[in-house]
Amino acid sequence: MTELYLRLLDRVLTPVLLVLAIYLMLRGHNQPGGGFIAALMAATAFQLQIMSRGSDVVRKAIGRYVQPGIGVGLLLAVGSACVGLLSNNFFRGMWGPSFYLGSLDVKISTPLFFDAGVFFTVLGFSVSYLLGLSEAAPEFFEEEPGPAPAPSQQDGGAA
Amino acid sequence: MNLNPNFLAAPVALPLIFAALMLSISRWGRYSSLRLQQWLTGIALSGNLIVALLLLAYTLTGKRLVLQMGAWPAPYGITVLADTLSALMLTIGSILALCILPFAVATLDLHRERLGFYPLMLILMMGVNGVLLAGDLFNIYVFIEVLLMASFVLMTLGGTPSQINGGIRYVILNLLASMLLLTAAGVAYGSLGTLNLAQMAQRMDLAPDSIRWVLAGLMFIAFGSKAAIFPLFFWLPASYHTPHPAVTALFGGLLTKVGVYTLFRIFPLLYPTLLVTWRPMFFVIAGLTMTIGVLGAFAQPTIRRLLSFHIISQVGYMIMGLGLATADSRFGAGFALAAAILFMVHNMLVKTALMMGGGAVELEMGSGNLSAIGGLARRYPWLATIFFIAAFSLAGIPPSSGFGGKLSLLQVTFDTHHFTIAGVSIFVSLLTTMSMIRIWQYSFWGKYPGSRATAPPLENSRRRRMILAPMTVLVALSLLMGIFFGPSLRLASVAARQALDRDGYIQAVAPQKLVAQPEQTAAR
Repeated sequence: MTELYLRLLDRVLTPVLLVLAIYLMLRGHNQPGGGFIAALMAATAFQLQIMSRGSDVVRKAIGRYVQPGIGVGLLLAVGSACVGLLSNNFFRGMWGPSFYLGSLDVKISTPLFFDAGVFFTVLGFSVSYLLGLSEAAPEFFEEEPGPAPAPSQQDGGAA
Repeated sequence: MNLNPNFLAAPVALPLIFAALMLSISRWGRYSSLRLQQWLTGIALSGNLIVALLLLAYTLTGKRLVLQMGAWPAPYGITVLADTLSALMLTIGSILALCILPFAVATLDLHRERLGFYPLMLILMMGVNGVLLAGDLFNIYVFIEVLLMASFVLMTLGGTPSQINGGIRYVILNLLASMLLLTAAGVAYGSLGTLNLAQMAQRMDLAPDSIRWVLAGLMFIAFGSKAAIFPLFFWLPASYHTPHPAVTALFGGLLTKVGVYTLFRIFPLLYPTLLVTWRPMFFVIAGLTMTIGVLGAFAQPTIRRLLSFHIISQVGYMIMGLGLATADSRFGAGFALAAAILFMVHNMLVKTALMMGGGAVELEMGSGNLSAIGGLARRYPWLATIFFIAAFSLAGIPPSSGFGGKLSLLQVTFDTHHFTIAGVSIFVSLLTTMSMIRIWQYSFWGKYPGSRATAPPLENSRRRRMILAPMTVLVALSLLMGIFFGPSLRLASVAARQALDRDGYIQAVAPQKLVAQPEQTAAR
């Protein structure tokens, strides 16, 4: 289901959504926003891609980074918590230099890295979820089913 | 011996780091770097065990280890606390997971492994460890959710229709219980103004009876449903026989006991008076849990269904111990709780060994149906032997650990003149013995009907070792516990005394910061 107007729209909307996501994440330090919301925003960009180009294209492009992305996000989050151990306290926030990005006050700090971890975890999870849903959809909504799922490998033991 | 409080972050952080690492590399190579994942899981679980043992050694001196996350003081920040009870549970939990790992490596099919069994197992351990260490109600809830999420996926890993069927019941009933727990947290926060267990304990004494009863009731229902007590156990036999045997072994030893642990933690700390007032209710529930569990087991046609009913039955004994926790017997304060804790530890070891044994039989024969199996004693004498010892430890035959645990619980019931529940528990022990004889007779005696499995795991000698060695370790631990019952009981009584010592808990969390606010609570 690749629609012409969606393909035109996504050229415009995808960069906007992604920039908006980054903006929301950086803003989240002191104002509404943050990694979770930003990740959902970024996931809508991927959903737009899935709707306009089809899930196969998207899966081919980013499919193998999705699950590692969750792992990297979790590692970032735990790592930023462990940085606090330097001041002898787990999860203690540490603040480095800050600078202005436009009107945004960006502080290089452990909460920022934690937020980035949340971002990647939620993004990876949402995209894998969206990909899974979009693949299940044709079987439910259309008469002709999509390609048959690969038979599960039941060789009965650890290789 | 001195321990840095930051050590307490390790049981949660370590499994999470390793699980995240495994997810990051989970698309490497043709077999998803499975061998590497197995080793990483082993390293993480061994590290977990070492941390748990250190914590146990520290807390056995009667001290508690407290960490205030991010240096935020107690009622505002997240408190993490280890005492002997939690350290003991941490240790046993890590031992169980470490024993299940080789079993899983030997029996899991490639499909399930690639879907992420190992990271999920670590996330489950993270949730369990978090519940054991959490010092406030909300984090108990959060970590119960974490372990539930992991268990939902593990339950349906592989996606066979029966798994989905069992998984749906498991999810719905557990989510209902979680909702009740969240309600309890909401009510607690609204009425007491805090969720920190230490501060709740202080303010609970000043709260009106209505709030205490509502809170205690909600928490009892919520945690009791996780522990699979009498009217709330339906999710367990509906689902535990459906996933892969390695998953069932992990769940059977660990998850219900986490529920029992939270009851052991919450009730002596928050509602010491209700433990006395509600004793008849505890006894009725304990008795019904025991009886219905064991009677249900008789009606079951397959090994794992039968064993999952025995999980329920054994939880009854622990609830009985909880009901007696504050009873004054001539054995001293806390003896009943110590016996209950020891019984729980025994049960975790033995139940896991039995579940592994039952799972091995099921995988070997290609069916867990008692009428379709038999004759395994001649083919695999060692499996038959350790299964026999574990089964009779569960039934409570000396010199097993089950005997000691049941005996000390019975001593307290007789000493405090609760003869009815004592009678029920003895009767249930007899029935358990009968049920164990039944399962042993069907699976190990008789004629070997031939295996229907495509790849029987016990025929390969390497895989057989990987299945039998951890079972042997668990059964040996249980036997050691039974033989050295005196020292084990002393260890457990340290845990029980700490669990019953409310002032010590409050002092450990925040020596001066917590001040009860009588005017606030009285106004409501």
